[in-house]
Amino acid sequence: MKLAPVDYVILATYFAMVLGIGWMLRKRVSTSGDFLTSGRAVPVWITSLAFIAANLGAQELIGMAASGAKYGIMTAHFYWIGAIPAMVFMGLFMMPFYYGSKARSVPEFLKMRFDEKTRGFNAFMFAVMTIFSSGISMYALGLLLHLVLGWNFTASVLATAVIVLAYTYLGGLTSAIYNEVLQFFLIVAGFAPLAILSCAKAGGWHGIVSRLSETPAMTHSWKYIGNASDNPMGVEIFGVVAGLGFVLSFGYWCTNFLVVQRAMAADSMSAARRTPLIGAIPKMFLPFVVILPGIAAVALAKIAGPGGAHLYELPMKLGAAGVMVKDYDQVLTTLMAKFYPAGILGVGLTGLMASFMSGMAGNVTAFNTVFTYDIYQSYIRKGAPDSHYLAVGKMTTIIGVALSIGAAYLAGYYNNIMDILQFVFGVVNAPLFATFLLGMFWKRTTANGAFSGLVTGTFGAVLIWCFTVAEGKGGVFGHLYEFRSTMAQNFWIAIVAFTSCFLVTVVVTTFTAPRKESELEGLVYGLTKIRRDENAKWYERPVVLAVFVLVLAVILNIWFA
Amino acid sequence: MDLRVPSGWFFTLLGVILVGMGLITPDARAALTDVNVNLYSGIAMLIFGLFLLLMARLAAGKSR
Repeated sequence: MKLAPVDYVILATYFAMVLGIGWMLRKRVSTSGDFLTSGRAVPVWITSLAFIAANLGAQELIGMAASGAKYGIMTAHFYWIGAIPAMVFMGLFMMPFYYGSKARSVPEFLKMRFDEKTRGFNAFMFAVMTIFSSGISMYALGLLLHLVLGWNFTASVLATAVIVLAYTYLGGLTSAIYNEVLQFFLIVAGFAPLAILSCAKAGGWHGIVSRLSETPAMTHSWKYIGNASDNPMGVEIFGVVAGLGFVLSFGYWCTNFLVVQRAMAADSMSAARRTPLIGAIPKMFLPFVVILPGIAAVALAKIAGPGGAHLYELPMKLGAAGVMVKDYDQVLTTLMAKFYPAGILGVGLTGLMASFMSGMAGNVTAFNTVFTYDIYQSYIRKGAPDSHYLAVGKMTTIIGVALSIGAAYLAGYYNNIMDILQFVFGVVNAPLFATFLLGMFWKRTTANGAFSGLVTGTFGAVLIWCFTVAEGKGGVFGHLYEFRSTMAQNFWIAIVAFTSCFLVTVVVTTFTAPRKESELEGLVYGLTKIRRDENAKWYERPVVLAVFVLVLAVILNIWFA
Repeated sequence: MDLRVPSGWFFTLLGVILVGMGLITPDARAALTDVNVNLYSGIAMLIFGLFLLLMARLAAGKSR
């Protein structure tokens, strides 16, 4: 793929834009709260779009097109049975406690509800996780830019990291959130044309379905899910609904501070509750932008062109044992090269860079908040003036970016360690969701119960991964069971992690003394007054929005069943 | 700062660049494109950018 001058102009304009937004917002930062939590003053449409954009990193963008080509429309389960119900639950039932408690972070909520050690465990896990996920994503982007455009790996990684650092350092969380909205628009602007062009070239959805008639599971999300051997994902309905739909998605969207932080920055309780609900509306249509091109690519690879060759060939790479295997991660960029002339190509590439930046800024801003408030202020230096924590927060932003760059290089050298880490990120929120569910809805839950459950669930998951194998991954200590796919492995380990955390928490709770109810006001269901919003206009009520979102999600599920 | 203003200008500018490309080189195609994709996506971005600016203008008028 070769870029024309106009593509560089578009890319440069975008870089100037993000830096300009950071520059304009620098005056809004005078306290640590302004820098790390936006002073709870961001309008709801902005937090809603930032809520979904922070999750839409380059890895997700590349990964969703790759999964579309590999697994077909079943990939949409990550949205229609995964994210959407979880976001609705988060807005309706969990946000009142998060926002109402005035906690500045998810670990801080754990401290209020349970105790210091539960907070410490979660804060430490989360800090390590954000650094490595931003590093892994940086590595993936650097590799792709090198492969596709021949750009120097070190130069492109450093340049993007420095830009992200500059605008988050200047304007803090507000700057990250504002830029995420711009990035979201740009991702859609850059990739919606690709979805439309590739789908049209493959004969529309009907054309795709008929061209993939030999592998019908590619174009049906539910029909072939009864048996794991019938579908390319290698999963069955219980694994999808319980593992992905319930445990993994609720765990991610309801407890991952990276996204929860965006809703916490909203300017009122009502806005905080509506953030995930409004965000769910564009979110459920994203599969048409990010997954559809991948499916269309497979259909295009079956159409004979004028010269006898196919219109498109799935990219290949040298796999293990010297055999060529399909390189799904390059589907998105090779499609861009096939469909985009100079001009729109620049927008597409800018969209890719934007997605990377939004993901990285999300990680960095979540990291500096958790480090400053939950690690530094709690364990290193208590009771300092606020200006000190502002300085620490800014310094942590620089350190966070530097550590991410280090992690990116580590990802290049130690692929096996990255497998473990990527797995841990996948399931780390599964046991945490059990802890929150019990903590928020069962007032009897004790701190020791929560802590022992969380530790059991987390290390239990890692242990199972070390003893089971899927697609040649895992099984570090032994080979007790083999899953049909890494997807199935992740879903099932998440189910086990959630269940073990839940059970251990309940059992230990019954043997330990509960806290006084007066200490739990605002933190637990039944002891918290939840505003019913009777005076709000009907379209501003969370419940009305939630029903609307769920009906739309059901329609999409049935349509593509 | 109203975010609609800078993003509105940004998309208006992108739209102008793409529409310009679409008019100057109407035959620019990639291997599999059949239409003047720069022109059409440029028009869409231009409309979106102007829409954001209009919304910002209306909001500013209301608060005054």
